[in-house]
Amino acid sequence: MMESEPPRLPPQLPPPIPQQAPDGSAGTPRPGFAEGLLLEGRLHPLTLIFAVWNTIKGILIPLVVIMFFGRKRAEDLYFLFAMVFLVLPIGFATVRYFTFTYRIQHGELITHHGVLGRTQRIIPLNRVQDIRIEQSLLHRLFRMADVHVETAGGKEPEASLSVLSLVEAERLRAAVFDVKRTAAATAEAPPAREIIRRLTVRELVFAGLTSNQMASAIAVLLVVWNLLDDFISPEAYERWVLRTTQAATEWVTHVGQRAWIGFLIITVAVLLVGMLFSVIGSVVMFYGFTLARSGEDLHRSYGLFTRRSSSLPRRRIQVLKVEETILRRLFGLATLRADTAASTGQEQHQNRGGRDMLLPILRKTELEGLLPNFFPDLDNGGDWRQVARVAVRRGTFKGSLVCAIIAAISYGIQREWLALWPLLLVPVVYLLNVMSFRYLGYVHGPKYFRTRRGWLRRSTHIVPIRNAQVVLVRQTPFDRRFKVASVLVDTAGKSHTGGPPRIGNVPHEEALELARALARQAAETRFRI
Amino acid sequence: MDGETLSQATPPVLYQALDPRVVKLWKIHSLIASGVLLSVAGIAVLILGFGRTAPWRWLATAWLALAALRVYFLFWHQQRVYRNWGYRLDGRVLETRHGIWWRQLQLLPLARLQHVDLHSGPIERSMGLASLLLHTAGTHEATIVIPGLDANEAVRLRDHLVTVGGDDGV
Repeated sequence: MMESEPPRLPPQLPPPIPQQAPDGSAGTPRPGFAEGLLLEGRLHPLTLIFAVWNTIKGILIPLVVIMFFGRKRAEDLYFLFAMVFLVLPIGFATVRYFTFTYRIQHGELITHHGVLGRTQRIIPLNRVQDIRIEQSLLHRLFRMADVHVETAGGKEPEASLSVLSLVEAERLRAAVFDVKRTAAATAEAPPAREIIRRLTVRELVFAGLTSNQMASAIAVLLVVWNLLDDFISPEAYERWVLRTTQAATEWVTHVGQRAWIGFLIITVAVLLVGMLFSVIGSVVMFYGFTLARSGEDLHRSYGLFTRRSSSLPRRRIQVLKVEETILRRLFGLATLRADTAASTGQEQHQNRGGRDMLLPILRKTELEGLLPNFFPDLDNGGDWRQVARVAVRRGTFKGSLVCAIIAAISYGIQREWLALWPLLLVPVVYLLNVMSFRYLGYVHGPKYFRTRRGWLRRSTHIVPIRNAQVVLVRQTPFDRRFKVASVLVDTAGKSHTGGPPRIGNVPHEEALELARALARQAAETRFRI
Repeated sequence: MDGETLSQATPPVLYQALDPRVVKLWKIHSLIASGVLLSVAGIAVLILGFGRTAPWRWLATAWLALAALRVYFLFWHQQRVYRNWGYRLDGRVLETRHGIWWRQLQLLPLARLQHVDLHSGPIERSMGLASLLLHTAGTHEATIVIPGLDANEAVRLRDHLVTVGGDDGV
């Protein structure tokens, strides 16, 4: 369709690409051959099939709706619309197939596309953060793959090649990383791939079970219950239980046995279904999760239906985060995430932890042994240093204030002394603050800076100091009253891990010294994204 | 003010103040903003007043309170901001500090400097002032701004910072 128009080309034509088999018979890539043309190709002809499939997938439901429920007269019009929506993307795909070419030359990945405005994009290979290969079920059927080339920054991948044959995709990835290695002047053969960690289905099921929100809520209740147990006198406790039981029996006799059982069944069913979905989600997403390392590069691959694999040079990890939710903590489990400088994905599965996930689940005891895989020069750094004790007082005050406000609102509505129950939570707030204070702390080592915080939900950040971009010391008016400050370390990592590593309530003088030391250390090291 | 709080542990290098003329610049900015804000608020007061949505007494009080706040901003606030602003170059780390109630100290290892912008708006330019915008690869506090430098000093500082930070980058 669009081929009929004579394309207006820019004055400098891109070098002609010799016609070749799409499966990439353009010669094998040689690692040491960084100069000149290393690899070139175009999209696979099946691009068209996939374009049709994607379009149909997108409009299938509206199409069916129109076919069955469309008003008789307007039907033809709707059908026309549908055809337009079907034909346009296929047209675009055709154009893309015929105009999209790529090659690796002189240490750069060069892509060309477009008819009217031809675009040439040059990506220096040493800027490539990650090459992601994604295969949906249909892709796997035809042994095809989508390839996304990521550089630092930006919202979208720098280049998306859709679709290539799997062989070609792997070849492209190998070529990029080989060239990078040659550029890094390590003339040895690419190091062998060693597997760091593989996740079994059993572990993934466990990950799913412990990721369930409702189950977490129940766990929190149980823990708080346990804590309260130690504080409430046995008589008061007994009296309370008795009264609750009485109220419950009354309610059951009042509403009727059937309603009670129904309610119970529904609750349990909702919980079970929720857990089932969590488990299915976890297994489908991370099935066959393998984390491997070859030399400096980390490789991940996972997915039951849609298979994803990506490579990440380990020095590009800006921040490492260990996450322990309450439920996982009870089982001694944790999640390992990494912030990189690659683009922020907007897709749903990325939010669910695809991209930044180094290991969706692992035993806490394995952690120290695994860390050198990501940070080879990781130092122990010494003991955790606690912050000012005033943190407990401030946290309790804040929490109590919240309780008081809720109590006031509740009293305003009900006008009864019983409505003031939120005030009873103040001891719990104090307890939680003491607990989290005990855990709160930082380690300032010669090369790494670690912070940890939280009690119900713990998190630990490990930052290589060479990645620090800006170090901040912040003081709110309250901080100044208590002579404390917060220290923040900003990195180039995208905030998958929830903001930059920070530590609050550090005594002011100590905060200044810490920040200045970190900045000096950063100034003495080199930083390469 | 208690500007010493942030500099108690100060190594020998002293904080540099901004160019004193910046106070005048900020006052001009504040005057413009006040003018716009107070006239918009005034129109709102008139509409509400004639529409009998609220009594005149309240409206007048609210408007006067706003005006008083703006007068404070115009005559006193800028001075305080100026007094609390400081920057210094300590070896290969640039430090800036500012803030009256919410204090912030920013430390930029110059090796992390990506690029520097020299910016001067029309009023700034007519007063011979300029701002430096120091960009890093950070994601939360990526840019550090030093406002109100003498234009020549800004150029000199920029060249110096780039030279010191020069041998590294992305």
